[in-house]
Amino acid sequence: MGVAPVFRRSRSSKLVDRLMRGVLWAIAILFVVVLIIFVGAILKQGWPVLNLGFFTKMPETLDAGGGIKPQIFNSIYLVILSLGLSLPVGLGAGVYMAEYAGKGRALNFLRLCIETLAATPSIVLALFGMIVFVQAMGWSFSIRSGALTLALLNIPVITRVTEVSLLAVPRELKEASYGLGATKLQTILKVALPYAATGILTGLVLTAGRAFGESAILVFTAGTNASAQFPDFRLTVPGETLSVHLWYVTSDGTLPDAREIAAGTAAVMILVLLSLNLLVRLVDRAIRRRTR
Amino acid sequence: MPVGSTLVHPADIQPGGSRKAGPMPDALETSLTAAPVNGVGGSVESRPTAPHEAAESPVFRHSRIHRLADRWAHLAFLACSLLVVGLIGGILFFLASRGLAAFWPVAGNTGRALHLSEVFLSADWAPSSDRFGILPFIAGSLGVTGLALLIAAPAGILTGVFIAKMAPAWMRNLMRQVMDLLVGIPSVVYGIFGLTVVLPLVSRTWLADAPASGFAVSALILAVMIVPTIVSLSTDAFESLPSSLDEGAQALGSSRWQAIWHVLIPAARPRLLTAAVLGLGRAIGEAMAVQMVIGNNPQWIALMRESTDRAPFLRALFTPAATLTTELVQELPNTAAGSTWNNVLFAMGLLLYLLTMVLILATRRLGRGKEA
Repeated sequence: MGVAPVFRRSRSSKLVDRLMRGVLWAIAILFVVVLIIFVGAILKQGWPVLNLGFFTKMPETLDAGGGIKPQIFNSIYLVILSLGLSLPVGLGAGVYMAEYAGKGRALNFLRLCIETLAATPSIVLALFGMIVFVQAMGWSFSIRSGALTLALLNIPVITRVTEVSLLAVPRELKEASYGLGATKLQTILKVALPYAATGILTGLVLTAGRAFGESAILVFTAGTNASAQFPDFRLTVPGETLSVHLWYVTSDGTLPDAREIAAGTAAVMILVLLSLNLLVRLVDRAIRRRTR
Repeated sequence: MPVGSTLVHPADIQPGGSRKAGPMPDALETSLTAAPVNGVGGSVESRPTAPHEAAESPVFRHSRIHRLADRWAHLAFLACSLLVVGLIGGILFFLASRGLAAFWPVAGNTGRALHLSEVFLSADWAPSSDRFGILPFIAGSLGVTGLALLIAAPAGILTGVFIAKMAPAWMRNLMRQVMDLLVGIPSVVYGIFGLTVVLPLVSRTWLADAPASGFAVSALILAVMIVPTIVSLSTDAFESLPSSLDEGAQALGSSRWQAIWHVLIPAARPRLLTAAVLGLGRAIGEAMAVQMVIGNNPQWIALMRESTDRAPFLRALFTPAATLTTELVQELPNTAAGSTWNNVLFAMGLLLYLLTMVLILATRRLGRGKEA
């Protein structure tokens, strides 16, 4: 039998190969360029606006020259509150899925629910929060309505990251713990969770970043106004965040310097995001060095 | 009695005294085979038995309280999971309670109850004149999402195969970081980028009259937003393929691209489809970024049909339009709870939620097809 190669290696196939290699490289490099242009443009537009006054002044409603001080506070406050609300639930559900649910139908169904919640558009979560917290509970547009609805966005991410991190814990470690007479709870709390903690922590930082950037949910639950007091820790007042402010000044159009405010706010958000990303990377590198 | 003699490691066996290496293999063999049979393999007995101290003073305290906590913790973890399940049902219930109120005369309604067909089969959206056809928004959502997917799916899948099977390590790392950043950028920042950079840029070309709002720019922005999802899922898909596939193709004389096109992509197809479906889900639910660039024109179908100044495909791409999500953002704050208008908006939200469920179930189907 003669050698009849399955794949034909003609001159044209070599040409196609070289061409497609080039195309793949080009697409990949295109994304790098897009990111650089994106971040560059946002920072360039916002840079002239970023002075001390922008960070320390209250926003204006009709005149130019307002700052974003309360929005910065509200963003951080809402991220912390929503993480505080979603962490216990997400951790609990993640532990249950990794350690208790077994491998049968129950786990499958739980996964389906987590996936559905994770894929639910934030505008749909916003509608839910609006019906339940803003209207039915009578809390109107407030920090508490916003934090609770935002928590719904975090829960599936934290659950997933907890489950994955716990499943990565070596079985020998857990078996050793049982061998030493630990109960299941003791094994989870003192062996599995500490081992998984770094993975969960990384996931938490990413969740915080996502909550920080979320806008659709907060427009309909925390409102588009910021309290006139600073700092205002009350849960009952409206709490406009940076991302909502960015959207609101752009679409509302009553501010003469809406463009500048929006550009500055976008630059601040990009800077926060870049530093969060750097933080994750540093933590990740530190962990890898330690475990190596 | 010798403890665990069947588990003895060969290295632990010391055939007595200082004999020469000669008989060692024999001794080893007999002790290993004999031990399980009679339980008293001579040389094994000399091995120190497992320490009993561990059992007598446990590292973990094991009181009644601990056992009680163990049981209650199980319930607490279960409760957290059930809360998530409850949330899925709760969202459905509350959205349905408001959305379906548009079609039934429910207490609290201030307007009339609509017929299903005048909502879902009509393109006439004029709420102030009591006409509530949401077809423009459904078509808008499908149009902009389809267009975004048309860009993002091929680009994302090819980037996935590039990262998994072709790129050198440094490029792989760089791409991962780029995708991490792209996925983390907030949608309002995408929106402001579209509004202040892309729209003016396109308006200056022959493509569009200023401003260039519409499907094209919205879809472009959306495509960049969903590409990280598709890239990361398809990278996983290609990385989880057995390497024998790739090696086999190359052994049969394939070029790099032939292996990718004829072997790897077909093999990964179910998971690539899943990636595309999840990207679709993200795109169809995105609200703020699209709202900032699409132009928010519920009457876009009429406008597209009537204007004759430009080529049809340019009109289709650059006519200010609206989608389900953008219309919700645009109009929900201005409507009173219980009004027909408000109820129809919630029905649009319900539609989005049901669509999410359908898409997730579709990914399940695709995933199951893979194992078969």
